[in-house]
Amino acid sequence: MSNLLEIENLTYRKNLKVILKDINLNLKHGKIVALLGENGAGKTTLMRIIAGINKNFRGMVAIDGVQSVADRKRVISFSDSLSGFKESTKVAKIINFYEYLYDDFDKNKFKQLQKFMRLNENLRLSEMSKGMREKLIIALTFSRQAELYLLDEPFSGIDAMARKKIISSIILWKADEATILISDHFVNEIASMLDEVVVVKDKTIYCHKSTEEIRENNQSIEEFYENIYGEGDE
Amino acid sequence: MEFKDNIPIYLQIKQYLYRQIVTGELKPGQKIPSVRELAVQLTVNVNTVQRALQQMNVEGILYTKRGEGNFVTEDTDLLEKTKQELIDDELNKFVQSMNDLGVSNDQIHDILSAYLK
Repeated sequence: MSNLLEIENLTYRKNLKVILKDINLNLKHGKIVALLGENGAGKTTLMRIIAGINKNFRGMVAIDGVQSVADRKRVISFSDSLSGFKESTKVAKIINFYEYLYDDFDKNKFKQLQKFMRLNENLRLSEMSKGMREKLIIALTFSRQAELYLLDEPFSGIDAMARKKIISSIILWKADEATILISDHFVNEIASMLDEVVVVKDKTIYCHKSTEEIRENNQSIEEFYENIYGEGDE
Repeated sequence: MEFKDNIPIYLQIKQYLYRQIVTGELKPGQKIPSVRELAVQLTVNVNTVQRALQQMNVEGILYTKRGEGNFVTEDTDLLEKTKQELIDDELNKFVQSMNDLGVSNDQIHDILSAYLK
């Protein structure tokens, strides 16, 4: 199958400091992939580069073979932290904003997700719990008809019920051909739904492996990941 | 459903479905849940479910009707054979763990008879 995302020899510097180097990564259509790494490893930066937000990198980033930022943005749905909205903003207003901003925003799909997540659109952001906010972010992100979804740490700091709900929604609403890249620094809770894991370490892609292959070697995904990060500490 | 994370999940999905078929939870000729329903129910990836179902189709324990989904075989010989395999698996595990506890095969026989009395 052809590659959805291709990254070749990517290096990214910020204020003369190397953040990411020699990144090579290919992702196929129709996969759920975890982007793992410690806090500060560069996961968010990599996502921002893929999404076309951080532009001053060296190397090549392409979606379906196309490199232009505008074309990439059109087919990538990147989870927004909603930090651009005032805390007093009502959910309904954010929905309207998304509808206005994105041609591919599917209001019906949002309605389904909203019902599934039990999101009340009359609430203000300030009235929402961390879990509720993440659910809203996921619902907004998935309501776009994209090819690649980038979810930046959707599970950090939320309770088990909210996490379950989000995981179910990913399995339920992912289109067959769409690929989802989920960043996390903790893999155990999402391991069962992953096709592949990508580990960021030492400013680069340390490894990219199929989860079932890891299990074929009698290793759990968590052990595999911990072994990678354990190595450097001795 | 909790999976062991150091065994391929498609194998565990197969085991889960075999068991449902053998215990009659899923009956011969019955339609099994769709790929996506199973994926949500088991909290696993659609691709992983697909892989398990594909193999079970090749084995003949499931068959696909185009556009309708997957159905449990009505072949009684094959169903009986599947049941026997599950029994063998369980016996294997039991004997192995008894041996690990220092119980010999001869002793297992006696212990089991006494236990079942």
